Amino acid sequence: MKFTLLMAAATLALSPAVVSAQDLLARIKAGGVLTVGTEARFPPFEFVENGEIVGYSADIMTEIMSSALPGVVLKRLDLPWQGILPGLAAERFDYVVTSVTVTPERREAYYLSVPIADATMAVLKRADDDSISTPSDMAGHPVGSQAGSAQLAALERFAGTLDSAPDIVSYTDFSEAYADLAARRVDAVVNSLPNLLEAARQRPDVFAVVSPTFGDPTYFSWAGRMDEDSASLNALFDAELKRLIKEGTLTALQEKWFGGPMDLPTELPTK
Amino acid sequence: MLDLLTANSDVLLKGLLTTLGVSLLAIALGAPLGLLLATASRHPSTAVRGVARIYLSFWRGTPILVQLLLIFYLLPLIRINLPPAGAAVVALAFNTAAFQSEIYRAGLAAIPVGEIEAAKMLGLTRRQSLIWIEIPQAIRIMLPALVGEILALVRNSSLVSVIAVTDLTRRAQQIASSTFKPLESYAVALIMYVAIALILSSIGMWLERRMRCSGTV
Repeated sequence: MKFTLLMAAATLALSPAVVSAQDLLARIKAGGVLTVGTEARFPPFEFVENGEIVGYSADIMTEIMSSALPGVVLKRLDLPWQGILPGLAAERFDYVVTSVTVTPERREAYYLSVPIADATMAVLKRADDDSISTPSDMAGHPVGSQAGSAQLAALERFAGTLDSAPDIVSYTDFSEAYADLAARRVDAVVNSLPNLLEAARQRPDVFAVVSPTFGDPTYFSWAGRMDEDSASLNALFDAELKRLIKEGTLTALQEKWFGGPMDLPTELPTK
Repeated sequence: MLDLLTANSDVLLKGLLTTLGVSLLAIALGAPLGLLLATASRHPSTAVRGVARIYLSFWRGTPILVQLLLIFYLLPLIRINLPPAGAAVVALAFNTAAFQSEIYRAGLAAIPVGEIEAAKMLGLTRRQSLIWIEIPQAIRIMLPALVGEILALVRNSSLVSVIAVTDLTRRAQQIASSTFKPLESYAVALIMYVAIALILSSIGMWLERRMRCSGTV
């Protein structure tokens, strides 16, 4: 019901043609505020510490704001993942600075940026659980992931290849899935590798990451609207991200937040 | 749990203030609207009563979560662009107005007709009868229900995080995600909600006691 409503809102929001003399980027510069949507429950990418949204993406934004948008104030709204892409479509914010896993469907509907991180799927289990040692051992176990996420879709695809399908449980966000893993209601959680490494790093007594990863290599990117109005803002983010990848700034930030560098292309792979 | 509380006390306090601010503003805005609705639902005109009834059945009959999403995502379509906190206050105020109007209606309806007739006989105008006879008694009758409604609104305000308002619940969620300690984080939020409820209900009880004395002539 909620999803249907959001989609209805999103569709309606896209339909009226907004005719304006200035485009979105010009209005942002004139107004002095860039509003972005973030799900601040995705450590180490974006999470809250002492009331501030910090993490990998916050550091990237600091770089971008100072070099490309000096004098513009960054306003980051924190809302649940399920409201992020619909909120972008409904023009509640200008851009999405939260880890959006690249999928073909999303590339149809939104303008996805240059990749910001590796998002290949992996499995988290309880540290004391010996029954799962490779991703295919999830067969027959209850497994959790986030509702509406690409990780859940990847898990569903992967489950189809297993002999006995795992019992898939979906959550509003990954924290609840981790909590249920610790509480033994699910036996594994599927998310992107960087997030799972962070969970295992914070609670090594409780969680452990299963190697290897599974599925095709995927990436995280940010997102803008597909319309003409947003084109120059999307281009600005792409140019800045490419610069940061080439200059090695992103590599340094990856070492800071993930404990190691990631191999990132400066373009999304062709569909 | 104590170290989690001390490490995040600033953030939790901010969340608490947001929760209280949104709830109390919604109550304050909802009160006049509720009174208006209560008057409308006692109005002689069928059309006026009908409008009030439609309003009540919508706002009392649909989930608050959906109401919040509607206000946040649909109002921009008619070029009303409220900030998240503003949208939250408006949605909660519209919601509580419906519930408050029922409380006001019931309170006024609880005054015995004999008293109103007696007031008329003694030469009091309709307005005088309302101000001196009906409203003082109605307030006393309504008070427990109103306190209950305020408490319900504070609890309902925990849903506002879906439209990007960082209230107490969202703060607890954020702490749970960054520390990977959900149980402790939510326990802290729980204790703070209980504290709000205890304070508000004891204010309510104090008011009830006070009014009981002054009212018995």
